[in-house]
Amino acid sequence: MKLYIADGNPHCIKVLAALDLTGVKCDIETVSHEEKVVPHLSHPVLPVLLLPGGQHLFSPNSICQYLFDVSGQAATDATNQWLEWEATHLQVINDEYDNTDYYKNLPAVLQSLHMVALQGKRAEAAAVMKEPLNWLEQNLSKKNTPFLIAEAVSVADVVLWAALYPLISDSGFDAGELRTVHGWFDRVGDLAACQTAAHKVLHGKGVEALKTFLQKHPVTHHRDSPTNNT
Amino acid sequence: MALRELGSLERFLGLKKPNKYSTQGGKKVPVLQNNNGPALIGLVTIASHLVREAKRPELLGDSAEQRAVVQQWLEHRVTRLDNYAKEEVKVILKELNQYLEDKVYLAGNVFTLADILMYYGIHHIVVELAIQEKERYLNVTRWFDHIQHYPGVRHHLPPVVVLRNRVYPSGHH
Repeated sequence: MKLYIADGNPHCIKVLAALDLTGVKCDIETVSHEEKVVPHLSHPVLPVLLLPGGQHLFSPNSICQYLFDVSGQAATDATNQWLEWEATHLQVINDEYDNTDYYKNLPAVLQSLHMVALQGKRAEAAAVMKEPLNWLEQNLSKKNTPFLIAEAVSVADVVLWAALYPLISDSGFDAGELRTVHGWFDRVGDLAACQTAAHKVLHGKGVEALKTFLQKHPVTHHRDSPTNNT
Repeated sequence: MALRELGSLERFLGLKKPNKYSTQGGKKVPVLQNNNGPALIGLVTIASHLVREAKRPELLGDSAEQRAVVQQWLEHRVTRLDNYAKEEVKVILKELNQYLEDKVYLAGNVFTLADILMYYGIHHIVVELAIQEKERYLNVTRWFDHIQHYPGVRHHLPPVVVLRNRVYPSGHH
């Protein structure tokens, strides 16, 4: 089994953290952003996990879930729901935010990272993230557990923490009054596996380390009108 | 859309009592109210729940590897097929076509939930394809035809005519 990652690719944080947390044995190879690892995909996509059976996993969330699954933590309704929410509300089109035409209907996290790292527009980035972060705050504040689902860390914590890490750890990014989110975020971030993963991808340079990745992933190729929402 | 799909899935699974669903937000994300616990939100989450409720876990994959591949396609369904720009359709079809080159089903040789939800989600695209395009994406068409004829899957969707013989000479790109 082999994991392909790239330096400064934010999606690699969650898979490295999951790998370390679960203790699954796997070779890691660092490749360039342009490396086309998955044969059937038209564009280079990373990270990629080459499974023992020869199939490629290129969805970071599916890679994380696989690593937890083989270490005895199968998916549940609760983990599925958080992973689906992360994929459809943080990584993909954010329908609710359409105050500016240029950024209309773009992936919330990617869009915010562009604003922070390439344009220095931290207030605008916080506005894009407001709705999903409020949703997370609402859900966390209803729970009495230290982590999203239970007393122990789960794949959902790793996936969400890693998606938000480059933004929330940025000193200039003001996410507002989100007390429960911050408490949870620090608890997950204190895990050695998470610290190591973040350092391996960002080298302690924060969003600066993502610049090359972000320049190669412009946020303009998505649809410009919400007409395909059937 | 998603709600009719979940209704069809329930019938496919042979669940006796139909569930009540609502939707949430501008994207009309399906919500399942659950008597024994909190509501379940999201098409993939609810569909996977129904499969387990019907005691058909093999539809989610028999091994960790297969489960991961199934999950990846379910995610693909709700991220790529439910949100794309017009010009992306060709890329979506081309990639799927290449992927299906050496496979009967999305998870390889076994039929899974990934086939069902991908079939429901791609139906509106395949319906619009001209004969020539159906031939260009031959593996997609073959897989699609296979799934629409799989017992109990099609339900709310009209059948799409797929020609078994080529009309245009091969290598027509």
